[in-house]
Amino acid sequence: MLFNSLTFVVFFAVVVALHNAPFSWRIKKFNLLLASYLFYAAWNPPFVILLWISTLVDWNAAKWIHQSTDEARRRFFLILSLATNLGILGFFKYGGFLLENFQALMAAVGVDYQPAAWNIVLPIGISFYTFQTMAYSLDVYLRRAAPAKSLLDFSLFVTFFPQLVAGPIVRPSQLIPQFAEPKIATRPQFYWGLGLITIGLFEKIVLADSFLAPAVDGAFGAGGGLAPLDAWTGVLAFSGQIFFDFSGYSTIAIGTALCLGFALPNNFRFPYAAIGFSDFWRRWHISLSTWLRDYLYIPIGGSKKGPVRTYINLAITMLLGGLWHGASWTFVVWGGLHGLYLAGERILREITPQQKWFSGWPFKFAMALITYFLVNITWVFFRAGSFGEASMMLASMFGLAKDPQKVLYLNAIIPALLVIGGMVLTHWLMRSTTKEAVIAKTPGWVIASVWTFMLFMLIITQGSDSAFIYFQF
Amino acid sequence: MPSSTSSSDNAYPAVKTSFFDPEHVERPVPERSWRVIVLIAAIATAVLMIGWETYWRGKEYIAGDYKNTAALWTVQRNKATGDATVLIGSSRMLFDIDLDIWEEMTGVRPIQLSLEGTSPRIFLTDLANDEAFHGTVIVGLMAPLFFTTDGGLRAEVLKYRREESPSQRWDHQLSLFLERYFAFTDEQTRPKRQMTHAPLPLRDGMNPLFDPRKLEVMTADRNTEMWSRVVNDEVFREEARAQWEIALKLFAPPPNPDGSPPAPMPDVVIDGVIAEVQADIKKIRARGGDVAFARMPYGGAFTPAEDFGFPRERFWDRLLAKTETVGVTWHDHEELQGYELPEWSHLSASEAERFTRAFVPIFAKVMEEAEDPK
Repeated sequence: MLFNSLTFVVFFAVVVALHNAPFSWRIKKFNLLLASYLFYAAWNPPFVILLWISTLVDWNAAKWIHQSTDEARRRFFLILSLATNLGILGFFKYGGFLLENFQALMAAVGVDYQPAAWNIVLPIGISFYTFQTMAYSLDVYLRRAAPAKSLLDFSLFVTFFPQLVAGPIVRPSQLIPQFAEPKIATRPQFYWGLGLITIGLFEKIVLADSFLAPAVDGAFGAGGGLAPLDAWTGVLAFSGQIFFDFSGYSTIAIGTALCLGFALPNNFRFPYAAIGFSDFWRRWHISLSTWLRDYLYIPIGGSKKGPVRTYINLAITMLLGGLWHGASWTFVVWGGLHGLYLAGERILREITPQQKWFSGWPFKFAMALITYFLVNITWVFFRAGSFGEASMMLASMFGLAKDPQKVLYLNAIIPALLVIGGMVLTHWLMRSTTKEAVIAKTPGWVIASVWTFMLFMLIITQGSDSAFIYFQF
Repeated sequence: MPSSTSSSDNAYPAVKTSFFDPEHVERPVPERSWRVIVLIAAIATAVLMIGWETYWRGKEYIAGDYKNTAALWTVQRNKATGDATVLIGSSRMLFDIDLDIWEEMTGVRPIQLSLEGTSPRIFLTDLANDEAFHGTVIVGLMAPLFFTTDGGLRAEVLKYRREESPSQRWDHQLSLFLERYFAFTDEQTRPKRQMTHAPLPLRDGMNPLFDPRKLEVMTADRNTEMWSRVVNDEVFREEARAQWEIALKLFAPPPNPDGSPPAPMPDVVIDGVIAEVQADIKKIRARGGDVAFARMPYGGAFTPAEDFGFPRERFWDRLLAKTETVGVTWHDHEELQGYELPEWSHLSASEAERFTRAFVPIFAKVMEEAEDPK
């Protein structure tokens, strides 16, 4: 079920009503669990079975890990959990990719291998909930936490509908305790939750889908060399589209959970105001970057094993982070570029002596713009369907394309560039604060006016026909 | 103090504190008079929406005009089983046949599956491969679309039907409910469409955009008629004609490098298309169904493009002969000529009624003669 659908409006109204009805907490949790399964099944009912498999395997594996004192047994149950989750992920998400690469490898050594067509549907959000449940088994294995006491609470943790299909990827310790005792939103929480839902929908439906998508689709769908203005508009618009789409989803998820009385962590902190790439990854898809840090980068050694290993660990983490997004080498390159940027930044920090003017805003602003520029280079690989398309787009951006075409009308260029300009400026102004802090200081009539504007734009834009980009991951 | 909700309210039975502090999720709520703010925003939004609805009604948009979505098409496609009479074609079949009149005259309400800018060949194949269908298919033939593509603007509806999720079905039902009562739900009123149609200058070297504005009004079962404004508003009508001129230039085969006219479509290509169609017809006939063809009137800039680009002997006559089917083309019947075509390609609502009344008996007679050649 999409957040930006009429069905969700009705669904959510019913869920809120049931959650505030005079039932026991256990019944309310059952309601939430059933609602979460319905939320997922509304897209493709049979895939709910994957959620059940993930839930039952991890519930039992974690229990056995916790009960066992024998390290070999503990490791065996961890491997069982990881193999199940990664197996599901690998089969559905990477099966076709692996087969394709195997076929290419065979062709390279002269073997004409023709496998049957791989027509497997990718279950939405599979990368999100598999990572979430793996964190549970890993936490128990690493003795960071004990298993949950209630299967109902654990099932709800795996399935909780606000963040089920596109995050934030929540840690067990962040969510499971919240199911232990009754939670109902206070009036301010409920209203602020509605406010966050409105902001998130506005980001997705109005900014991403209406103002930016036409420029992105026009530029990336052209299939040939573009004039630099068209190429840059397409790429910059994509930087906004992917942000508003994904940040919009996270904000709706946080607002939805808050309306029910639950707290979810932030997933974005104005990332296009980042100064450098370590700063960028503290602001972009925070729940994934911290997951990768805590369950991959640090366990393989992090920065504790010398500079060479640090760079290798960084590269492994970012390459796998890229592959997490999609089964394609273009995503690997996207991750690899970010790994290179992080390594480059680390080297620069080590060799550059500190200067006073580093702390002045002109330097910081310039660094933020350079960071944004380099991030945009990576988005080319993220959005392009192939390396050919990506190289054509890069060549177009720098005026190197042969026979460059103008494909975007001013009707797409002007709104896209206005929104992008507004986005970058807003991120810069908000880089050291939060929405909540700004709202707390803003006059009530301004809040009411902005809310009215967003609601009006949402209604006249009439939802959207398009799914969130991150659903495919 | 601002109120907040936090995950640290209850102790998760941690064995050991994590190096990373994921234990605590702070969700502060800004301290405001939320009830007043929400109330003002809700009232102001309602007022703006009343204004918005009124504005679009003033522009001749009406409630009960349903969006021509893949979901709406899918509902009709799902009804096309058994011995149903099904209309497939592109926009002319959609605009020019009035389902109410057809039903009144025959007692049978056809199922309208035509889609603008789309070749009916894909729908013929779809019906041919559907074992549950053994009815009559009437194929609206617009030669440039029929012979040059097996897809087109709306070909994605077949994929949509295969993959339609339960939530998309529910969403469609909820949307129908709103469309019944509000005019602003028309897709053309969206800001995205307004931006696309804003009169901004063209960049040097770019062609004008082909993106027709609203032309039709549609009921829940896809009975379609021309929108009143195309008929009544001279400027709007001229704009529609200008769009067809762009389309005819955009989609016409390019001239040869020396400037001479492009070569006509080779016989082998035409026969290839006809062979595919013939295979589909055979499948439908094998189950007891039948297929017939129809050509709807056109005029203005379409006349030279269709009559010279796709002469009837090479296309229409050849198709009927090779597939051993019957068809009705407006060229052959006086009763089907002389209708008003406001933007050259489709009949106005009143003319579509008149045309359907004339078409049905001719079509019935042709079908009858085909069944009993004596």
